[in-house]
Amino acid sequence: MKRYGEHRFPGKLFVVEGIDGSGKSTQLLLLHQWLKAEGFGVVFSEWNSSPLVRDITKRGKKKQMLSPATFSLIHSTDFADRTERNIIPLLKAGAVVLCDRYIYTAFARDVARGMDPKWVRELYSFAVKPTAAFYFRVPLETAIQRLLDGRSGFKYYEAGMDLGLSVDTEESFRLFQGRIIEEYEKMVPEFELTAVDATQPIEVEQAQMRQIVRSKLAQAKRLRVAP
Amino acid sequence: MRETYGTVLPGMNLADLTGKLIVIEGTDGVGRSTQIDLLKPWLEQEGRAVLDTGLTRSDLAGRGIKQAKEGHTLGPLTLSLFYATDFTDRLEQEIVPALRAGFVVLTDRYIYSLMARALIRGIDAAWLQNAYSFALKPDAVFYLRIGVDDLIPRVVFSRGFDYWESGMDLHPSEDMYESFRKYQTALLAQFDLLAEKYVFDVIDASGSPQGVFGQLRDRIGRVLSGEPREPLFSLVTAPPVPLAASDGDGRKEAAPVRAFEVPEKTPAKVPEKHPARERTGKGAAHAAAKTSGGAESV
Repeated sequence: MKRYGEHRFPGKLFVVEGIDGSGKSTQLLLLHQWLKAEGFGVVFSEWNSSPLVRDITKRGKKKQMLSPATFSLIHSTDFADRTERNIIPLLKAGAVVLCDRYIYTAFARDVARGMDPKWVRELYSFAVKPTAAFYFRVPLETAIQRLLDGRSGFKYYEAGMDLGLSVDTEESFRLFQGRIIEEYEKMVPEFELTAVDATQPIEVEQAQMRQIVRSKLAQAKRLRVAP
Repeated sequence: MRETYGTVLPGMNLADLTGKLIVIEGTDGVGRSTQIDLLKPWLEQEGRAVLDTGLTRSDLAGRGIKQAKEGHTLGPLTLSLFYATDFTDRLEQEIVPALRAGFVVLTDRYIYSLMARALIRGIDAAWLQNAYSFALKPDAVFYLRIGVDDLIPRVVFSRGFDYWESGMDLHPSEDMYESFRKYQTALLAQFDLLAEKYVFDVIDASGSPQGVFGQLRDRIGRVLSGEPREPLFSLVTAPPVPLAASDGDGRKEAAPVRAFEVPEKTPAKVPEKHPARERTGKGAAHAAAKTSGGAESV
């Protein structure tokens, strides 16, 4: 059983992290387009790749059956499945793998729910260490404004309603996401996350990201066939 | 106050868990559910409220695990975490509330079976210990112990060989019988190691169900009346047999598989056990393996 930092693969793994509304998914999409155009074999690894685990997670959330511990464990089950069946084989094959959220999301969320930080880190110790992990740092209010513009409301677990922080969904979301930001900030030095100021214009952030990714891709495989 | 193996889950209050947590452990086909079916009515006649529970019975993940096993598609780590999810759901939703209400909780297997299965599939012992560190320490763990030669006829003449009970996901052999034998031998070796580490009460399960029941009833009676727990004898542990090794005498040159911080001295006790015992399958041999030192956990 290889542990975090012990894997050696020809492929490269880039992940984006940050709270909802930080703009990380937009940035990853732009990075994806660029890498394809550059001729790299690039693959998105989706969350919930296993239909079976996905169904359990969905049902657990819908029926509000999840405690902090089972929330943590069912997500780690799904992540283990992605790692064993998707991420590791792709990295072995030399792909550039992109992940929208990674283990740091679990660390932030689970610890914000009261799980022991050391316990969660050890639980995910089988994860492959990313080539680079970008953390999109954004003030809570900016993120909330972006989210309120874009959609109708917050989901139960996303707002941390299971913690009983507030009966008001928006207020609960604010308190819960505030805790998550605290956890992310602790992880920046701990896991050497690359912090990106996510209040900048999109194209500026993307240029910073590409510069870092380019420097890590010196020996990565390019596809012979143009996309 | 009840203890855990290290960490405590958020919201789990360990005070006032006045019930008793009794674990029945042992390998596939050893007769655990038969014993629980006998113990439950007996306890109820004694005036004790009983909750019986077991693996993959959680509302959250039980069905999912069964489906996953039919498809045989999950990797060892994924399956391990799936089981941990199921265990945790039952711990929080069933076991703890029952203990708080003063029930006797009889559980058909506990974290130890999950650990044994994962260990022979290459999962790290330290990782497993962390994953299950919030599990409650039971009041007693009764390990129904059997040799593989006694186990085989029971399984063959009752339900036949099962894919998972034969460890077929590990491809030990093309032949179901050989697979079952190798897999269960490796599993039993892991159980024996866990029995030392976690100080199980060992019960020789090669005898009649009524005989086993008699022993369980006596020992559980002592647990319920609050007598201090003392393991009756220490188990003399066989050197663990890696799955790749052939059965029988192949065991001699077999290197021990990795397991829970096995003390180096363990293999030195081996001479008391000899291949003939496995073949004749006389259960009394287990009990004969008494040591004067008593069972000390590490």
